[in-house]
Amino acid sequence: MDKQSTAYTFLFALAVCAICSFTLAAVSEGLRPKKEMNAALDVKKNILKAVVLKEPIGPKAKGEEILEVFKEKIEEVVIDESGEVLDWIKSGEAKKERNKHLLYIYREEDEIIAYCFPVEGKGLWSTLYGYLALEPDGITVRGITFYKHGETPGLGAEIEQAWFQDNFKGKKVWDAEKKKAMPIKVIKGKVKDKIFASQRPYSVDGISGATMTSQGVTDLLAEWNNIYEPFLNKIRNFPEIHRGD
Amino acid sequence: MSILTRKDKRIVKDGLWDNNPITFQVLGICSALAVTVQVKTALVMCLALTFVLALSNTIISLLRNFIPSKIRIIVQLSVISTLVILADQVLKAYMFDVSKQLSVFVGLIITNCIVMGRAEACAMRNPPFKSFLDGLGNALGYSAVLMCVATAREIFGSGTLLGFQIVPQVLYDHGYVDCGLMVLAPGAFFLLGAIIWIQRAVSGYKEAN
Repeated sequence: MDKQSTAYTFLFALAVCAICSFTLAAVSEGLRPKKEMNAALDVKKNILKAVVLKEPIGPKAKGEEILEVFKEKIEEVVIDESGEVLDWIKSGEAKKERNKHLLYIYREEDEIIAYCFPVEGKGLWSTLYGYLALEPDGITVRGITFYKHGETPGLGAEIEQAWFQDNFKGKKVWDAEKKKAMPIKVIKGKVKDKIFASQRPYSVDGISGATMTSQGVTDLLAEWNNIYEPFLNKIRNFPEIHRGD
Repeated sequence: MSILTRKDKRIVKDGLWDNNPITFQVLGICSALAVTVQVKTALVMCLALTFVLALSNTIISLLRNFIPSKIRIIVQLSVISTLVILADQVLKAYMFDVSKQLSVFVGLIITNCIVMGRAEACAMRNPPFKSFLDGLGNALGYSAVLMCVATAREIFGSGTLLGFQIVPQVLYDHGYVDCGLMVLAPGAFFLLGAIIWIQRAVSGYKEAN
C-alpha cells in the first residue's frame, strides 16, 4: 500500500487513535478505585485534622485506619438554611440541592467534641478548600485546615502550614458582649503588634507577601460563617443538638 | 562490562552535557521553573519526564518507517500524550500527595519542547535503541539541571532538603531569614542563568555568528 496515499494515512491515524484510547481507558478504569479512594481519603483526613482528634492518627496511618476512625467518630449530617438538621436527606444528595449544607459532628463516646463544616472561596490564583471545626459551644475555633488550593508556594501556600492553621485555635467567631457574629479576620502583620486587645480573639496573624490570599481567607470565613450561623445559634443556646424538631 | 559501545555512551553523554536540553538548547525551562521549589516534586517530575522521553523516543522510532509524513507530528503527539496521561494517572493513584503538588505540570510534559524536539530530531531518523539512549541522555540532562536548581532553591528558600531541616534553628534565632526570592519563579530564573553560564564556561561553548 502506498504510504503517501490518503487511505493509508486515514488507516494509520485510526489505528493510532484506537490503540491510544484503549490503553488510556483501560489504565484509567483500572486505577479508578485507587484514585477515588485517594480523593475521598484526602477529604476525610482533613476533616479529622480540623476537628483535632483526642488521639491523633499518625502521618503514616494507612487508608483503612483513617476510614475506620472516621466511620467511628464522625457523623455526617445535612442542615438546611434555617440550621435544622435534616434526617430525610442523604449527605450525598446535599451538594445538588441549594441551601443544604454538610455538617460533620465529632463524638468521643457519645459526647460531642466538635462541629466541623467545609469552607471554600477564592484566594489569589485559585479556589481554596478547607474545613473549619468549632468547639461544642459553637463559638471557639477548634481547628482549621486548607487541603486544596493553587496559591504561590512559600507565600499564599503557607495557608496549608501548621503555623498558620494553629493561629486559629482558640479564636472566637461570636462576640459575647455585642451579641453578634464575628468571623475571624486574617490581618496584615502580627496580631499582638497590630490589634487592640478587645479584637484579638477575632484576628489571626497574616502571611507576609500573601495579602490577597489572606484577604481571601477572611472573605471565605465570613461567607461560610454566615451560612452556618443559624445552626451555630441553635447550639449556642442549647448544648445538645435537637434533631428533626 | 560493556553493554554500551563507545558510540552509545557518546549519545547519552551528548544529552547530558554537550547538548544538554536546558543549558545548551534552552528547552523545557517552563517546568524547570515551576516544579523546583522542593527537591521531592522536582525528582518525581524528572522520573515522569525520563519515563515519557525514553519511551516516546523508542515507540516513535519503532513506528518511524510506517508513519505517513503528512500526519507525523500529530502521531508523535498522540504517542507522547498517551504516555504522559499514563504517568499522571499512576501518580494520582500511587503518589497522591506529590501529584497534588505537581498539579498541572505533569500534564504539561506533553507540551515540553524537549520531548517533541527529540521525537522529531532523533527518533524519526534513528533505530529504536539509539533513540532510547538519546531520550535517556536528554532526560538525564534535564533532570541534572532540575535537581541542581531544586536543591539550591529548597535549601535557600525553605532551609530544608527533601523536607528535612538543613539550616539549624540557631541561625534563625540570630536573625537568619530564608530567601523569599528562591520560592518564586524569578529565583529559578537567576539560578538557571547562573547554571547555563557555568556550564558554557566549562564546556567552552561559543555562540555561532
